[in-house]
Amino acid sequence: MSTQLPTAAPVGAGSSPAPTGRRPLSRRRAALARPWLLLAPSLLVLAVLLLWPLIRVVLFSLQDYGLREIVSGEPNWIGFANFAEILGSAQLWTIVLPNTIGFAVLAVAGTVAFGTAVAVLLASLGTTWRTIVSSAIMAAWAMPAVTGTYVWVWIFDADRGIFNQTLMNMGLMDDPVNWFTGRFSFYAIVLLNVIHHGFPFVAITVLAGLLGVPKEMLEAAEMDGAGGWRRFFQIIVPQLRQVFAVVIILSTIWDFKVFAQVYLMPGGAGSNREVLNLGVWSYVESFGQNRYGFGSAIAVLLTLLLLSITAVYVRTILKEEEL
Amino acid sequence: MRSTRLPVVAALSVVTLGLTACSGGGNGGEGGDVDGAGKTLDVWIMQGTNPSSDEFFDTVGEAFTEETGAELNVEFVEWGDAHDRFVTSIAGGTTPDVAETGTTWTPEFADAGALAPLGEYVEGAGLGDDLVDGLVEAGTYDGELYGMPWYAGVRSFVYNTEVFDELGLEAPTTWQEIEDAAIAVKDANPDMVAVAVPGDAEFTVYPWVWGGGGDVATLEGETWTSGLDSPGAREGISFWTGLATEHNLSSAGAVTWRETDVLDAFAEGDVAMAVMGSWTPAAIIEKNPDMDGKFSAVPIPGKDGGISPSVLGGSHLSMFETSDDKDLAFAFIEMMTTGEFAQEWASQSGYFPGQSSLLDEAVGSDDPLVAPFAQQFVDGGASVPASPAFGAVQAQKTTSVMMQAILSGQSSVEDASAAAAQELTDTLNGD
Repeated sequence: MSTQLPTAAPVGAGSSPAPTGRRPLSRRRAALARPWLLLAPSLLVLAVLLLWPLIRVVLFSLQDYGLREIVSGEPNWIGFANFAEILGSAQLWTIVLPNTIGFAVLAVAGTVAFGTAVAVLLASLGTTWRTIVSSAIMAAWAMPAVTGTYVWVWIFDADRGIFNQTLMNMGLMDDPVNWFTGRFSFYAIVLLNVIHHGFPFVAITVLAGLLGVPKEMLEAAEMDGAGGWRRFFQIIVPQLRQVFAVVIILSTIWDFKVFAQVYLMPGGAGSNREVLNLGVWSYVESFGQNRYGFGSAIAVLLTLLLLSITAVYVRTILKEEEL
Repeated sequence: MRSTRLPVVAALSVVTLGLTACSGGGNGGEGGDVDGAGKTLDVWIMQGTNPSSDEFFDTVGEAFTEETGAELNVEFVEWGDAHDRFVTSIAGGTTPDVAETGTTWTPEFADAGALAPLGEYVEGAGLGDDLVDGLVEAGTYDGELYGMPWYAGVRSFVYNTEVFDELGLEAPTTWQEIEDAAIAVKDANPDMVAVAVPGDAEFTVYPWVWGGGGDVATLEGETWTSGLDSPGAREGISFWTGLATEHNLSSAGAVTWRETDVLDAFAEGDVAMAVMGSWTPAAIIEKNPDMDGKFSAVPIPGKDGGISPSVLGGSHLSMFETSDDKDLAFAFIEMMTTGEFAQEWASQSGYFPGQSSLLDEAVGSDDPLVAPFAQQFVDGGASVPASPAFGAVQAQKTTSVMMQAILSGQSSVEDASAAAAQELTDTLNGD
């Protein structure tokens, strides 16, 4: 680094707008190399911190890698057997994937819808109330997932939870029900937990976008006779396309990888197989059993899946923009 | 280290000699003869067993330095993080010299080649016949001892004496008496959990499997076969889950309870009977001092009297292959697992020592919260399959899956136990 800077910096300092040198070819080459030279240190750091672990994960995924291999340090190549086992698992197709995808769709829709509604509310508030409300929702965001999960578990506890108590006091239910044993009631609670934990991020991000929508356009639309809903969907939403893209992609990635919120629920750690999702399933089947190769293979597949979802989404957004 | 140069050199040469002697087929483990001056022994002890471990290990450290000249460096590791810590340290080659390993982990780490065999050292110290059988069995892998029995606990049948006295009930001695007592409690206190049947607590299930005459799994030659679907096992599982599903004597919440939830509910006074560990009485009183003197224990009743066996769960002290000075390491192991320190640790923590001669003293105790557990320990102790794959069975929660399916009414005892037996057999055989 210290050897590159003195040579690269003077060249780059004054000459970038108008190349006027006598040797344009080497100039152009220098111009091409310059950004890479400047990027080199951070690329190097990224390569060490991100790329190498990524490569290692891919290498592990092609091995039967357990505690014994860790001790001996010997590789144990088995080709694509891990991937074959994953894709051949009936549990994956009948329980794990439906749970994961179904939950992610509902959670993303719920988080984005609720977060946007809160953002609209925030945008219509005065400064004082906006500060108060946004700090309140920030508290929900700042709460660690573990703590939040336990609070929901207490609320829905079968014997002493406030939810069952209320239903029984109102005479709607005779005997307490254990909501954690049913597939749908279990995920309804996870959904509440995840939306509650995830909506503040959406609200704050969308609010920033909302405040950037030109007032003139809204006023003009109002003059033309557009009602509140129409103004929202035809003026504001198109303006916020990029914001929604970011928010939806990030939420999708987060909600696909949900782990603690399921694992910490009663029965969520594997004793109720009906509620396994991808995160818990991969933990139970791989790391819980010291099958690190198998776990790496699951991680590789999950990464590919999320990358393709993101790619498809980014493409549709960009296409609409070009039209 | 204030030792002069000469003793250090001497110590090193002694160490080298010791190692040569050991690898030459050995007279390892000569107790007090080890000279570890200038050395440091790294030890990992699990946390969450004994509230006052710090002081205890200060004393141990002083005694150890006095005996061997080496420093003792004890690091406390939370049970919850411990397995991951072991794996990462094995991967990085930074394992301690000696560590406390849970009895189900010892075969797993031994299978991976991370632990050093202890058989010769134990023979050399003349301890072979003075160790508790159940713990030796759990610490033996492939015919070789890898885990030195240190301490263990056992689960028995704990009941709320306040409720029992009020209703004039006697402690149950057969399965029928458990059911009758529970029905009486439920009739008098409909809001109470008469007997806690938790869905996510595998060690509270096995006593009924064994009590009914079944097996969790047996090894024949190289092949494991699970007996969870045998008629005896099914009878036991039917009885235990039937208390909840047929007679409604447990609670809706208990379907997803772990052992910690049972403990919490019992300490609150909400539970009349439960299968609980010998280490829980102290925890119950710590959580709720009002419970002091309001509960007692009996060995888990057998079907028609006698005792239903229960798992001896506890810890070994294991020596890692990476240890530089194995004689020094064993000197520490011997010091901790026998005699004065072993006894003190056991009495402080509410566990039983792994040395038979010390255990006999505990059995003679007349403490109503020690004697029944001691009786269970000696007459009704059992071990889960000593296979490195049993950790995988636990990770898959095979037994809990079975229990929850039965308790939530999703599956019959026949179907659930057949599925569990199949999975257990497959996992233990590595299929």
